[in-house]
Amino acid sequence: MRLLASAVSFLSLFAGTWALHESDVGVVDWHKHLVGVPLSGLVSAAPSFHRSGDKSLILTATANNVLAALEPEDGSVLWRYIFDPEDRIIGYFKGDNVVATLSAPGGATLRTFDTITGDLLLEKRMHAPETGALSEPAHFGKDVVFALNSTDLYVLTNGCTVTKLNGTTGEVMWSWSSEDRGTKVISSKLILTPDALYAVGVGQSTASYALHVRTLSPTTGELIKDNGISSSIIDPLTQLITLSSSDPSKPIVLWLDKGTLRYFALTPTLNEKPRLMKGAGFAQLVNLGLNHLGHAVITREDGSSFVVKVDEESGYPRSIWEYQDSLIRTKAKSDDHTDSTFAGGVDSLGRPFVARIFWSHKMGKGSADVFAGHLVEGQGLASGYFFPFDTINHGIIAHAALDSENPAGWTIHSRLLITTTTGSVQLWEQSGLKWAREESLATTVIAELVEIPEKVASEIGSGVGDGFIARLTRQIADAQDFPQYLFHFVKRFVTGSYASATDAALPTSSSPSEGMTRDTFGFRQIIVAATVYGKVFGLDSSNGDIVWSRVLGLGWAEEIGGMIQPVKLFVVKTVSDGGDPEVVLVGQRRASNSLVDTVVFHMNALTGADITGTSVDTAILEGQDIIQGPLVNGFLLNAEKRVVVLLDEFLQVYLYPDTPETREVFTAASPQLSFPLRGNVETRQRIIGHKIPPPDSNHRPVAYPIWSLTLPDGETVQALLPQAAHGPVASVGKVLGNRTTLYKYLNPRLFVALTAVPTRGVCGVYVADTAKGTVLYHAEVKATSSGKGAGSGCDVKAMLVENWLVYHYYENEVAGGTVGDTVGYRMVSVEFYEGQKTDQKIESSDLSPYSNDTLNFQILEKAYVFPYAITALVPTTTKFGITSKDIIVATANHRIQSFPRRVLDPRRPNRKVTSEEAEEYLFTYDPLLPNDPRRVLSHNYDVANVHHIITSPALLESTSLVFAYGLDMFLTRVAPSNTFDVLSENFNKAQLVITITGLLVAILITRPMVQRKKLREKWYQS
Amino acid sequence: MPQTSLDYSSLESSSKWKNLPPPPGFTKSSSSLKTQSKKSAVSTASYDALKEKRAWDAAIGPAKSLPMQAFMLYMSGGGVQVFSIGIVFMLLLSPFKNIAGMNEAFAQYAPTSKPSNSIATLPLQKIVYILCNLLTLGVGLWKCRSMGLLPTGTGDWLAFETRGVAPEISLF
Repeated sequence: MRLLASAVSFLSLFAGTWALHESDVGVVDWHKHLVGVPLSGLVSAAPSFHRSGDKSLILTATANNVLAALEPEDGSVLWRYIFDPEDRIIGYFKGDNVVATLSAPGGATLRTFDTITGDLLLEKRMHAPETGALSEPAHFGKDVVFALNSTDLYVLTNGCTVTKLNGTTGEVMWSWSSEDRGTKVISSKLILTPDALYAVGVGQSTASYALHVRTLSPTTGELIKDNGISSSIIDPLTQLITLSSSDPSKPIVLWLDKGTLRYFALTPTLNEKPRLMKGAGFAQLVNLGLNHLGHAVITREDGSSFVVKVDEESGYPRSIWEYQDSLIRTKAKSDDHTDSTFAGGVDSLGRPFVARIFWSHKMGKGSADVFAGHLVEGQGLASGYFFPFDTINHGIIAHAALDSENPAGWTIHSRLLITTTTGSVQLWEQSGLKWAREESLATTVIAELVEIPEKVASEIGSGVGDGFIARLTRQIADAQDFPQYLFHFVKRFVTGSYASATDAALPTSSSPSEGMTRDTFGFRQIIVAATVYGKVFGLDSSNGDIVWSRVLGLGWAEEIGGMIQPVKLFVVKTVSDGGDPEVVLVGQRRASNSLVDTVVFHMNALTGADITGTSVDTAILEGQDIIQGPLVNGFLLNAEKRVVVLLDEFLQVYLYPDTPETREVFTAASPQLSFPLRGNVETRQRIIGHKIPPPDSNHRPVAYPIWSLTLPDGETVQALLPQAAHGPVASVGKVLGNRTTLYKYLNPRLFVALTAVPTRGVCGVYVADTAKGTVLYHAEVKATSSGKGAGSGCDVKAMLVENWLVYHYYENEVAGGTVGDTVGYRMVSVEFYEGQKTDQKIESSDLSPYSNDTLNFQILEKAYVFPYAITALVPTTTKFGITSKDIIVATANHRIQSFPRRVLDPRRPNRKVTSEEAEEYLFTYDPLLPNDPRRVLSHNYDVANVHHIITSPALLESTSLVFAYGLDMFLTRVAPSNTFDVLSENFNKAQLVITITGLLVAILITRPMVQRKKLREKWYQS
Repeated sequence: MPQTSLDYSSLESSSKWKNLPPPPGFTKSSSSLKTQSKKSAVSTASYDALKEKRAWDAAIGPAKSLPMQAFMLYMSGGGVQVFSIGIVFMLLLSPFKNIAGMNEAFAQYAPTSKPSNSIATLPLQKIVYILCNLLTLGVGLWKCRSMGLLPTGTGDWLAFETRGVAPEISLF
């Protein structure tokens, strides 16, 4: 053992020189560059095509708070800008070569970007975020328009402030705020004409809103006119729209007033009268993003719709196209096709196109009708087509963006960018799918790496019960392949073409029909990832490809709608149990009527097939309702059989799968089980430990509290963290240089609790035992001052593995500590050892939690100055736990980095090391952790907003897979003690074989010679 | 002093060449033949004393070479290398080899009156010889210990320590 340990530590000595090789990039790792699911509900944030010069691109703001530009040709990310979490993006506004964004409450921050390169050109604080007026929806009351012939910008923020800015310097040229500060009148839209800047909005009126227009001078910001127009608008978001025709000086405002359509031509003095358009029963004005070209779509109460356009001569709106069969639709609304989505697009010549997109139940396809008003001598031409949209795998169409052109004559060539409810972004060129991006992967909340089975080389005949003769004939039949096998064996032996640990993890020969099979070293695994968009993915860990995906069914809530929030993901059957691995996804279904249920989905990890057999592979995956109510917590009992244990709000225990066998396993294990939950007693928070009574036949067992840890007043629990890995412990102690042993305090029941005390501005870290509540370690660290509200400001990240606790926090007060009196991030490494000195042991791993010896331990700790803020912290895990455990962190500057255990050793002395300490490879304590850029696992990838990292052992003991997810996904392999269990890359097998063959030949030749010589010597010389 | 010329073969009663006839043309030295009967009693006693002295030399021989071996150990250093391991193996093996071959080694010094291969001949010398060899072994073990090759610490036995299953487990 000592030899092995010293071998491992000896190898890890060279770890300082270990680095990611350039040749490994893209081979051992992969990276998914994601942008998040587009915000399809907001006009100002939804995806749209944009032309800048002769370059076409897709712009979108996403739910992950990203502004992104995609390449329409292949869907790659041209550029993206990631906003901070507290700086929510409200919308983007397109100029000629710049795109402007407003973010934070009230539109507090204005940014402009170069459309082609994504370079940030300007960042300007419009007002303090605290003074931002909250509006519902967020984009209401914010607008940006670009000056006609200069880079100046007119920005509307908070619904009441209009500012003119110089687009290059950010200098405020003038600013105007309404006197009521947006309490009575909220402006929502800016329209710029050469004579005036109109701020169109609504004023509060009884039970509805009234149109309100303000006119400002574009040059001075002087208020020219401030008028309310008597009207009654119920919903200003869908019933108010501004349009301008080809003559930009004559904009009009359209609104719906009790189902009638009215419009009002804007003049600087607002002296026009509101007019009424023919017809009634209008329901909605649809903004197509074609306001500057005077196009909009109006839907009626009966579901029909038509395109409206501002007439170029009169400046009045008129209907130019009635969508066909829109009236038929209403008669058979539910069984013919769904509600339509409208999209507007502009071709390279600036001509508008309008599309209506819907799902046809009859055809089982998506349908698009594209209308071009300028074709056929201004009569308008519509072109309809179907596209084979896969509604089972991608949900329904939530948003569409259109890019059309008229290559010749009466043909219209269209590209549709479709965003679906499952977060898929697809570009359809006419009826063909050009590319698709599964952006819901950016919302992955839980993921699990699952080992996959080996390729079955040959089927072994069922020779269990056959007789002697039959067996003999079968074996003879099997033996006919032996010469071939021997030939291959010799060939392989001589040429030495073995799998290499730094190759891509692909099986040597794989045909798609065989499905997923693992590679030699087990680097190829399945990543099961559950997203908040109700979709579960199976990803190939060798290249990140999507192997399968399933849409989660809503069960009874299908009718009313809802969503499934994934809570837990358990591997209930592994490869070692035989057969295909299986996973169980526990989700909470929140139906639209606010009912919450707990649903369980049981899947084959390799194919995504439903194990229960209720859903076929081509349909939506339906789950089983386990608990009629929310889930309090779920655990995996890993006894002889893996059983999922779920707790409802009354702490009743539910098992999944619930069979007599699993019940038996659970009954046998239940007296030993305990788990902590957080609870409230009066004003104080507690951590309460629970046990489960043995189940009886009549009732479900109800967990009962056995201990509680009452926290001081005002202290709240932020998180309870289990041990990072329950892997095997290779060694129960740590051998020191003088060959005494520090026995590790290995308590399998330890957990970490992170708490916050906002009143005192401190955060707590506790390590406690689940069975008795014994607190083994408690530390208080200062909260960061940047956070606001209860509990925030405590951004402590912690992990506990074996006897090693590491936590990371921000120290903003210099207290003359040991780490150099600096303000900054700290990482504290704590180790628990048995006894008070070396060689004392209490056999903690099998000690009863009620034993007096449980408190007989010592704590060694050291704090280090850490170079970065981090978002995730995990240890590596390996198959047998022999390899030293590095920690992997996701830093706030979008990197994944590893830090060796050796530098975090709390036993590093504060003086020069003695020879015995040098034998342990300890080195002198240095407060600053070495920030080795060669240990950046993600090298130059931008792995953004990682909130989870999971590590999984490969078949090689030396290697651990690291999978990080958040906005992006990233997977790589790490070997903390180097790949000591495979031959090195430069091992020359040919040389070895040649040498041995040469020696053999030499022996064969010289042996008879020597024998002859000996004989001669005997004969003549003695 | 032709009488004191060492002709061990003639001394040893057990010599297998004693009864061989002289080669043709050679005769036994006439002078020795003459004095043989007269001097035999005297010379046997003195040769026995001489042999005992030499047996003592042989007995403390291992102790005499110790300083040399210690120096070699010092020179070979504390690391576990081929050279130091070779020396240590030599030190550890040679005492056993010596003790095993002790009777044969002392056979030549056995007094004429006693059986040369018996353990009971030259007992004192043999005990001292054994002690000296143990001293060499001790030096070898000390070197092993200083090189960290003796399993004396708890750390050396850690791999054999086993732990049972935990009486209570956490579901968490």
